[in-house]
Amino acid sequence: MARKNRQVETRLVAEYLKERYSEFTFIIKQPLGAISEDLMKREGYERALKVMRPFRPEVDAVVILPHFLLLIEAKVWNVVNGLAKLPLYKALIPVTPELKQYRPREVMMQLVVGWTNPNLETMARAMDVEVKVYYQGWLGEIVEGMHKYWTREYQDERQKKLKMREYFGVE
Amino acid sequence: MVLENYVILETGVPARLHFTDHVIMRRTTTDPLTGEPTTRNVLVFDVDRLNGREVFAKYSIMAEKHAGQFEAYLKDKSYRDYNLIITKIGEGFRTSWSVQVIPRT
Repeated sequence: MARKNRQVETRLVAEYLKERYSEFTFIIKQPLGAISEDLMKREGYERALKVMRPFRPEVDAVVILPHFLLLIEAKVWNVVNGLAKLPLYKALIPVTPELKQYRPREVMMQLVVGWTNPNLETMARAMDVEVKVYYQGWLGEIVEGMHKYWTREYQDERQKKLKMREYFGVE
Repeated sequence: MVLENYVILETGVPARLHFTDHVIMRRTTTDPLTGEPTTRNVLVFDVDRLNGREVFAKYSIMAEKHAGQFEAYLKDKSYRDYNLIITKIGEGFRTSWSVQVIPRT
């Protein structure tokens, strides 16, 4: 089972952008939302950025298309979380100072996933989000590991391993 | 040309860079928590332009999540085709990096 904190989604979005949008400018990990003007006056722009960081979520990527801003979230785990975030992130675009130069542009949303299912597609349509399946070989190993995790065989094997570890006193 | 050994990013201050080459190397550092020496893989880029100036410098990346943002560009060194505006956001374990990728015309 791949550890969840591997930077899988970072790699997924970077490869996807390179393959699909390499001729356009894009921003990976763009913080979204306003920065308090009072705070900026009082503390300066850089300090205000630091203070506001916990209140500014980061979208995986923004692609600057000629007539659109394309918001992208890439998800391997917690796919529905990614879907749910996108419309909320979209609401922050008009108040994000870093994107001011690219307005007014219509905002489109994409959820990039390794696999999909009919329910995800239905939810995405309802939220005006396009689902893009981007499946690479390296992702296959991780996805397979994830699916196996829930099988009886994998769980039995895992229990055996845990018992052996306990028996030999191995962490 | 400006001689700067390493590009150090200031939090919240965007830097515009262009990379010409890279290497992944092993480096021994001191773990900030345990104080013990630890060996890590480091992604090091050669930088020839920094904020519009010609330079001869290195940009060193130790964080996996930052290195991952460039992984797709390493094999074919296609980062050469882009200018990058990198902004360091936050400090410590919560640090993230916003990377604007701009095709060179």
